[in-house]
Amino acid sequence: MLKVANLCKSFGSLVVTDDVSLHLEKGERRVVLGPNGAGKTTLFNLLAGEIAPSSGDVFIDGKSITSLPVEARAHIGLSRSYQKNNLFEGLTIGENLSLAAAVAMGLSGSLLRDTHNDPELRKVVTDVAAQVGLKDMLEMQVANVSYGNRRQLEVGLALANGPKVLLMDEPTSGVGPSMISAFHGLLKTLPRELTVLIIEHDMDLAFDVADSITVLNYGKVVFEGTPDETRASSLVSEIYLGDWDDDA
Amino acid sequence: MTDTMAFWIVQGLHGLQFSMLLFLLSVGLTVIFGLLHFVNLAHGALYALGAFVSFSAVKLTGSYWAGFLLAPVAVAIAGMLLYLGLIKRMRNAGPMNQVLITFGLIFVFLDIFRIFWGDIALGVEEPALFSGPIEFWGIKYSAYRLFVIGLGIFVLGVLHLILSRTQIGAMIRAGVDNEHMAACLGINVEKVFFIVFCVGCALAGLAGAVAAPILSVYPGMGTEILIPALIVVVIGGLGSLKGAMAGSLLVGFIQTFGAVIAPQIASVLVYVLLAGVLIFRPAGLFPARS
Amino acid sequence: MFHQTKLKTFVLLAILVGLIIYTMNGSYFGRELVVEVAILAILAISVDMVSGYGGMVSLCHGAIFGLGAYAYAAVNVLMGGPPALAVVAAIVAAFTFGFAVGAVTSRTRGIFFIMATLAFGQMIYVMIFDSKSLGGDDGMWGLTRLDLSAIGVNLESGVQFAIFSVLCIGLTYVVAALILRSAFGRTFSGIHENEDRMRALGTPVWKFKALAFGLSGSLAGIAGALAAQHTMFVSPELVIWTFSGEVLIVVILGGLGTLVGPVLGAVVMVFLKHEISNITTYWHMIIGILLIITVMAGGRGIYGGLEQYLARRAAKAAPASGAKTDA
Repeated sequence: MLKVANLCKSFGSLVVTDDVSLHLEKGERRVVLGPNGAGKTTLFNLLAGEIAPSSGDVFIDGKSITSLPVEARAHIGLSRSYQKNNLFEGLTIGENLSLAAAVAMGLSGSLLRDTHNDPELRKVVTDVAAQVGLKDMLEMQVANVSYGNRRQLEVGLALANGPKVLLMDEPTSGVGPSMISAFHGLLKTLPRELTVLIIEHDMDLAFDVADSITVLNYGKVVFEGTPDETRASSLVSEIYLGDWDDDA
Repeated sequence: MTDTMAFWIVQGLHGLQFSMLLFLLSVGLTVIFGLLHFVNLAHGALYALGAFVSFSAVKLTGSYWAGFLLAPVAVAIAGMLLYLGLIKRMRNAGPMNQVLITFGLIFVFLDIFRIFWGDIALGVEEPALFSGPIEFWGIKYSAYRLFVIGLGIFVLGVLHLILSRTQIGAMIRAGVDNEHMAACLGINVEKVFFIVFCVGCALAGLAGAVAAPILSVYPGMGTEILIPALIVVVIGGLGSLKGAMAGSLLVGFIQTFGAVIAPQIASVLVYVLLAGVLIFRPAGLFPARS
Repeated sequence: MFHQTKLKTFVLLAILVGLIIYTMNGSYFGRELVVEVAILAILAISVDMVSGYGGMVSLCHGAIFGLGAYAYAAVNVLMGGPPALAVVAAIVAAFTFGFAVGAVTSRTRGIFFIMATLAFGQMIYVMIFDSKSLGGDDGMWGLTRLDLSAIGVNLESGVQFAIFSVLCIGLTYVVAALILRSAFGRTFSGIHENEDRMRALGTPVWKFKALAFGLSGSLAGIAGALAAQHTMFVSPELVIWTFSGEVLIVVILGGLGTLVGPVLGAVVMVFLKHEISNITTYWHMIIGILLIITVMAGGRGIYGGLEQYLARRAAKAAPASGAKTDA
């Protein structure tokens, strides 16, 4: 479904993505682990098209999307959430979700339909809101809700955008344990055919939801395997858990 | 020297002279812009103020040079008052509010000019030193216009030296590049802003005094030159000395030669250039910040 | 994001009805003022549509307006076309130019956008000023007004033309409101809120900006066609760039991003200007100072203030309900 071939990105002499290749099957849940500065977010920016790679290719469904701009990739069904909340602060949660849903449903350019009162679109919005636990907050303005709710909306926007491949950049960063476990639940309710790539810091989540795990270090893929293999790998515990101990 | 050659050289000098006038005006605009993130639509009005002050000074003293010296000082003082009264407070108010405030200032200045100097175009004599034409290679050309060209090059040189060699120049470059970083380095950013704003205004006043004998002095002169000056800033790139010069030369030459070679489309050429830059280089040709 | 509230409907209808009553009872001069209000209000609505809801602060709508008036005159006088066709030409010309400006400037933001619009507006001015076929400095005379005798309306009559102009405000408002509440309009507002996220969600941003600017331009074109019919004469004065600034003042004065506020602003501006020019010829200075004070005070304009006042009163009356204001 998602294939990355020999992707490289350097800023001057600094190599941030070094010959990364990945292959995700349809419906696969893949977690990307790695210490701070390993180039995880850069990899996402490359996949989403927000920055251009120095070399290498990205494919979806076997078609190269390397030269497509951000908006065209989203149209194909590549949807992402951000590590730092990137929302429509002045609008309500419902308005946020309906903007994303309208694009996915091909309605956003319509001069005739009022998406605010469109029953078809309302349904998508309420469904996604229920999925991410914001069902009762549709009328609240984003600027007035808690950080945790914004994290939920961040994922909600990506989901409402009708993805085939979902990229989530540290969806649980900075939220409390109850919300992390709610997020585990959410991941398990996602339709099975959806391909998901998650950057995570939380090892438990990674081992709990992942079909497979990729570990990045200094922009390179240094390990790839099942959760069990990852747990057993001495290399991974050296790189990743070492850093984990230092940070925590 | 054939007549056609002479003709083109004269056109080239015209273009150069107009470019230098634009440069004097736009360099202040662009550096204030790059450093303070403040757009001053009243910059043109300050230029007109310089022209009016120089007119009165010439009238009182009978000497062109009195106006030439007094106009930059007077306009710098006006700029100082504006900065302390309005602009300092509006620095973080967003581009629209800045545009509106300075647009309001244009209206205020327009009526101040009308009240004190009336609505008719006023003439200023060229200085005796540069009156009449100079002859070289069989070409006759206005000595005063040559003086304006020389002055523009001189100002460019001085500004270049200040920016590249002095302490304050380094502070300005640091400020344009990254304001927060500059503040962290212990630079008194507020003071640098204030000085730059006043110098920018003084240059606008100087441009007004210099333009007075060529273009005459009237209330609308500021609003008229503002748009070419803004185009120079956009084409050249925000906050860059090199950009201001390159933009001024491009606009000055395109307007001058366009009017001779293709008068039917001359007026549109500059805007075509602007559109091209906006599409292909939206940050301008020589942006100071990457 | 746009919502047509009851308060907006009420204020709009009150203004329209008030203007019509004023027209019926007013003098010749009063009717002139009403038409002036109508032209300014339509233009202010079109500016608010892109500036208030899309963050595209335009300093070229005065020029688009002038272009509309000239397109009307060109079809009506130069080609001898009927006024109805001239109105269509005004709208099409204004749309086309607006779309082009929107497309070219779609990658620029903030002050660069404002300056670019200013420059492209000025381009229209020089083109018109330099064009001999459009009358150059002198402009064009002898324009005729729409013939609505089929529905029993005679626009040659001052009263009927003034009422027609007032109805045009209503029509423009409805069109702008429908655009803003459509999926397109909401996406456009979304781009204003967070352009990068909107793009990441799959929106080709430049198309939305260009089309919105074009549609807003066509409303400015309606104002131009109205102005051309009003004076039955066009001149480069119509296209002068400071007029764009005046329209922006009207929008700010009435309340940016409220759609009905600009209509209110137009009423206040025209009557205020009229009163001031009775006292002094230096009305520019008064308006300038007023503008500086308004912006420095950081208010939300007349309509914004009204909304805030009513919300506060409602909150006092029912402290538990937590009233919410909505622009």
